[in-house]
Amino acid sequence: MSHSTPPANEPNSTSTLLEEPGVLVAKKHHLLVRWSHWLNVPILLGLILSGISIYWASPIYRHKPDPTTGNFDVAADIGIWICAHVPGLRHYSSPPDWLYNHISLGPGMLALALRLHWLCAYSFMLNGMVYLAGLVMGGGWRSLLPRRTDLFDALRMFRYYLGAPFAKLVRRKWLHPRFNTKYNALQRAAYFSVPVAGCLSVATGWAIHKPMQLYWLAAIFGGYNAARVWHFWLMWVYILFVVPHVIVVFADGWDTLRSMIVGWSTRVKRSEFTANEQ
Amino acid sequence: MNNKAKIDCVDHESRTNETAPSVAVETVSAEKRQGLFGEQPPPVIEMAPQVLRYRTRRDVLVFGAGALAALAGGGFLLPQDTLRRMGVRRTVNSPAKEWFLNRALRIDDDVAEALYSGNRRVPTYTKSQITPLKNNYNGATPDPGYISGWNLTIDGLDSGLSISLDIRNLMTRFSVQEQITRLVCVEGWSAIAWWAGLRFDDLLRAYPPMSQAKWARVESSVNLDDSGNPDPYFMSIDLATARHPQTLLATHFKGQPLTVDHGAPLRLLVPVKLGLKNVKAITKITYSPGEPRDYWAEHGYSRYDGI
Repeated sequence: MSHSTPPANEPNSTSTLLEEPGVLVAKKHHLLVRWSHWLNVPILLGLILSGISIYWASPIYRHKPDPTTGNFDVAADIGIWICAHVPGLRHYSSPPDWLYNHISLGPGMLALALRLHWLCAYSFMLNGMVYLAGLVMGGGWRSLLPRRTDLFDALRMFRYYLGAPFAKLVRRKWLHPRFNTKYNALQRAAYFSVPVAGCLSVATGWAIHKPMQLYWLAAIFGGYNAARVWHFWLMWVYILFVVPHVIVVFADGWDTLRSMIVGWSTRVKRSEFTANEQ
Repeated sequence: MNNKAKIDCVDHESRTNETAPSVAVETVSAEKRQGLFGEQPPPVIEMAPQVLRYRTRRDVLVFGAGALAALAGGGFLLPQDTLRRMGVRRTVNSPAKEWFLNRALRIDDDVAEALYSGNRRVPTYTKSQITPLKNNYNGATPDPGYISGWNLTIDGLDSGLSISLDIRNLMTRFSVQEQITRLVCVEGWSAIAWWAGLRFDDLLRAYPPMSQAKWARVESSVNLDDSGNPDPYFMSIDLATARHPQTLLATHFKGQPLTVDHGAPLRLLVPVKLGLKNVKAITKITYSPGEPRDYWAEHGYSRYDGI
């Protein structure tokens, strides 16, 4: 352990190439975990876009039809509100469709949206199995299991993440809580919940796709209509996860991003990043 | 200088290939295992920096190519309307795209067929669980004038004849079955409704189809499009589903004869299929060995529609 760890990306001149000391690296993610992780990006995007197009055909959230327009869809109301209040959208051709035009494949294409949704859904299930296989083969599943101390530790991490941008702004030291595990408690909670949400999405999806043959599955979620509501809100789990996930990965730096592409990380000691120095 | 760089480069390659593996397997840290569920620290190894750089470069390129492929594949599969809204002018409607999407649909149909069991009854409900059922005629609702002269024609029979039955005939010859089941629309909404009618199975027994028949085409010639012009509605149903004990030719809704909204005087009620297979105001049933055409399958929906 006498090696000092040099920065991995330091440019070298050709003459010193052979004398370069080795870098200590740790394998962070199994190949299958890495591939399935990235495949989730297009698959989930396809599922969400086509899913909202399907939602358009029979919205869950509705009110009594408006006496003048006959509109009953809350999502259409949001579109109308946006077009009325956002400068530059005053003359948008179809305000009730605004939301569907921007966060889905579009309104009025149920047949196509369903076909794409099935394609993505089967890909999602296959990809999920690849991911689980990677977790088992690489042993990574152990790092995702929740622990008894997680609630308190997650709150500490949450406090750290909330404070970190301000601390950076006023150039104050803001200490990263110490952990001697692969993930901190908040990461563990997130990385454990997302596969669970994936399983629930698949289960509720089957429940509303085959409510007669799999009526027992729909019954677990409180019946056909309740399973649709579950399926809708599970989508928001991914959206709410992805936003901070991407921000924190970029804030954390290249090593973390690289470990999900190449698998290796040069951060071998877990407590290495205890301060906000990077 | 140039030469030297080249030689170094060769050296570099050879070192990457030959000495790196022996370096790479050297485990520097080893901690104790902590049971099956305990987190095990990842093995830490020493790697030549150029090996790490080489692997990083290789994998970033591979993943970049994968990302481009996913982008191209996604763009290829997106509906034309969506692409146009994103500012793409080119038409990418190709037979390959249709084939691919239909393939996905057929896989789903096959899975659904594997899940289906002819013996499995769908859940039934009590009268207190009934929910409102709207008139979901896709086009205009037909004028009730057709009801007085209504007849059901059956074709493709074993006898080789084409027969015609009126509603009195159907209601008196067959026993009536009552059923409170859920009707599920492809759009996502559903309704629990109280129906009564004869079993399709009883009609099949009374008028057996030709021996090779595996399918029925159920048709309504009184169906109208949006602007009120005739738009015959037809759909396919396999005979195994038609024989399901809960597949009815319904004559009553909520204890009253069917109204025009709900397909008077006779509609198909097949709770193991999506609502779009539940043809209203049936005028003709034709048995056939091959799969008949289906109205909504021709609009890009599944042909199977089993739920």
